[in-house]
Amino acid sequence: MSRRRAPGGLFRWVVLTPFVALLAFIAPVFLLQLYVSLHSWTVYLTTWWDAEFVGFDMFREVLTDPRFGWAILRSLVFAGLSTAGCFVVGFGLALLMAPSFRGHGVFYTLFLLPMLTVPIVIAYTFEMLLYQKGPVNGILSALLGTDVTVMWLADPRIAVLTTVLLEVWNWTPFVFIILLAGLAGLPRELEEAAASLGASRWRIFLEVKLPLLRPVIVLALVLRFLEALGEFPKTWALFQGGPGTATETIPVYLYLTTWHYFHVSKGAAMSYVVMVLVVGLVLLALRVLRRETRALDRMDGGPGGAR
Amino acid sequence: MRDRMLRRRRFLRAGLAAAIIGPGILGRSRAATAGAEEDAVVRVAKKAKPAELNGMIWSLYYRNMQRLAEEFRSLTGIGVRNIQDISIFQIPQRAMAEALARSPEFDFFHVDSNMIPSLASAGLLEPLDEYMAETGYRLDMVGNFASFMRYRGKTYGIPTDGNVHIQYIRKDYFENPDEQKAFADKHGRPLTWPRTWEEHQQIVEFFHRPERGLIGSGSLRNRANGVTWWYMYFYSAGGFPFTDELEPALATGAGEYAVDVYLNLKKASHPEAPNWGTPQMIPQIVGGHVFSAQYWDGTCRQIESDPKSATRGKFLYGLVPGSTRSGRLVHRSISSPLAAVLVNRHSPRKRQAAYLALYWGTLRNSTEIVSHPEWTFHDPWHTGHFQSPEVEQRYTRAGLEAIKRNLLVTTPPIYLTGHLEFQDALAKHLSEAYIGQLAPREVLTRTEEEWRRLVAKIGKRKLKEELASYKAAFPRVDVPS
Repeated sequence: MSRRRAPGGLFRWVVLTPFVALLAFIAPVFLLQLYVSLHSWTVYLTTWWDAEFVGFDMFREVLTDPRFGWAILRSLVFAGLSTAGCFVVGFGLALLMAPSFRGHGVFYTLFLLPMLTVPIVIAYTFEMLLYQKGPVNGILSALLGTDVTVMWLADPRIAVLTTVLLEVWNWTPFVFIILLAGLAGLPRELEEAAASLGASRWRIFLEVKLPLLRPVIVLALVLRFLEALGEFPKTWALFQGGPGTATETIPVYLYLTTWHYFHVSKGAAMSYVVMVLVVGLVLLALRVLRRETRALDRMDGGPGGAR
Repeated sequence: MRDRMLRRRRFLRAGLAAAIIGPGILGRSRAATAGAEEDAVVRVAKKAKPAELNGMIWSLYYRNMQRLAEEFRSLTGIGVRNIQDISIFQIPQRAMAEALARSPEFDFFHVDSNMIPSLASAGLLEPLDEYMAETGYRLDMVGNFASFMRYRGKTYGIPTDGNVHIQYIRKDYFENPDEQKAFADKHGRPLTWPRTWEEHQQIVEFFHRPERGLIGSGSLRNRANGVTWWYMYFYSAGGFPFTDELEPALATGAGEYAVDVYLNLKKASHPEAPNWGTPQMIPQIVGGHVFSAQYWDGTCRQIESDPKSATRGKFLYGLVPGSTRSGRLVHRSISSPLAAVLVNRHSPRKRQAAYLALYWGTLRNSTEIVSHPEWTFHDPWHTGHFQSPEVEQRYTRAGLEAIKRNLLVTTPPIYLTGHLEFQDALAKHLSEAYIGQLAPREVLTRTEEEWRRLVAKIGKRKLKEELASYKAAFPRVDVPS
């Protein structure tokens, strides 16, 4: 009796091959990083293969470094605020752009432009606009009828807000695109049914559209939040971590540690800690996303739902 | 008759020949006199194989050096093929990446010479003494300035830019009799050139008139640059950052004095100073919105030579203030960054790169670089620059005198392996104190804590060996003549 290949065996290999290839591509980087983080390698002191093995000392150093703790906190605040800002503005724009109207394409393109601008260009352009006697304060003064002298770049409390505003300006289009696509994909029947039952537009929005959009919203928020955690070019170009340490976020501190102080091992250990943090956040986000999808399935008559 | 004609013809021919060849011979002899240094470099470089070099240098610096690189190629076959054009502030990181890879890709780096200890420790740099001896080249720099290029007894860099802080004071205000009287009435002493930081503080506060668009002090206070000023206060007060045992020595009387001077100036500074660097401050100085500053000497050239300058002839240039805290008057200026050409030890073309660096560094060629009509960051450093009419045309006689006096008392920042980290720890705490995030006294104690950790990491023994190079870069006079 000849041996026969189990059904689906070929399919399994077709699926597994790219995964294995991806792993082979990524794994060496992670392994090298792990090697470096378990040794004490400072570029100007020794070569990486001669670096002393220190076990988990680097991780201990990172986890007891208050500067790193503050950098994480600043990054979380920055990412949280900028994600909220991107969501509020992006969702507003998506709602405005959801119905079709004349000139829709022009507005769509215009709203996307900030996302297509290189972050470093945004930083330098806004630097010129945001001086105390610059155009932004000038326009605000004219609009408010009083002399506005906000120090967008020099006041440590406002510097954080400035980075948040720039991030919102830069990346709102990203949230806007996702939510606009989500709005376009909503089934019209439910909206029409609610309207025929006499529901107001506000009620339709709150009780029909918003619940249906929840998985898309969660996805947009998660992606934006993770992206914001890694923001570096604008923060570095405008502030280099200052004034004081007001804008010393994780990427800034990582850059300083690795490429100013040349402590590659500490930088590698920091990257691992940040990676664990991000993976934790992603798992949490996936759980929320799955819960939202299940709730939507139930509402939509999926498993356990009533159609 | 025929003989006479022959003699006349011979005479005319000889005259014609002399007319054709003569200027050439005279020109050559003049060139030989003026260019003996260059000839020596070219003669030795010709013995090396022709090569096309790759360098890491900011185009704002390179544009004045490019013609000479092409000239060197035509004379020796050694030229520059590729330039990686990145800011001088990013080159330390990129150069360290080359050190890490032991890469032969770049033959030379144009970088802050304060990085020499770190880059030499990383095994990247080729000592240049052998090439200098071969060509008879001598680093002829004002005062003790040549020590900035040396580390543990070897020369690693050929400077192209002699950055030093000089004192700028607005002449039109300072020499105004009404202002002088008002100042004397207020302070009970005549308005004179500030000898000390205390006098300077009094003067800049007096002239600080933000409501009229005039800022008393244009000295930088941002995180990246502010620390450069602190060194001047600290060194002039008799401070040195380490004991001979490499114990940090910041939390001392000199350190506290320096922090006080640093923070006091806030009263006469622009409110946006915590985030203002050179791109913001230079236009303020050149545009006439700053009364006084200790600033890099290149700004003098911009004030006096830039056609768009609003302040040509309106500034006085001189020695930076000093301190009597140590019991005697001591002036200390600062040179950072000090741009120099360093050669990659791993490059198979290192010999050729070294010759090119020396060619750029001869008196004639470096004069061309620092007096180039286009404004760049190259400033005088060679003793010969201070006698050069071309350089004087760009900086004015008063400007050159000020540069020379400050070079005689100039100092380096932390000139040790780990320079960037030592400096950033201090800079970060100063910046925090300036904006009220940290108590002034904590600046020094916290920096000391971080430095102790760093000293332990780098190794006391290694740093102790380097301390001599750091100390050797200090000036030998307290008050320049």
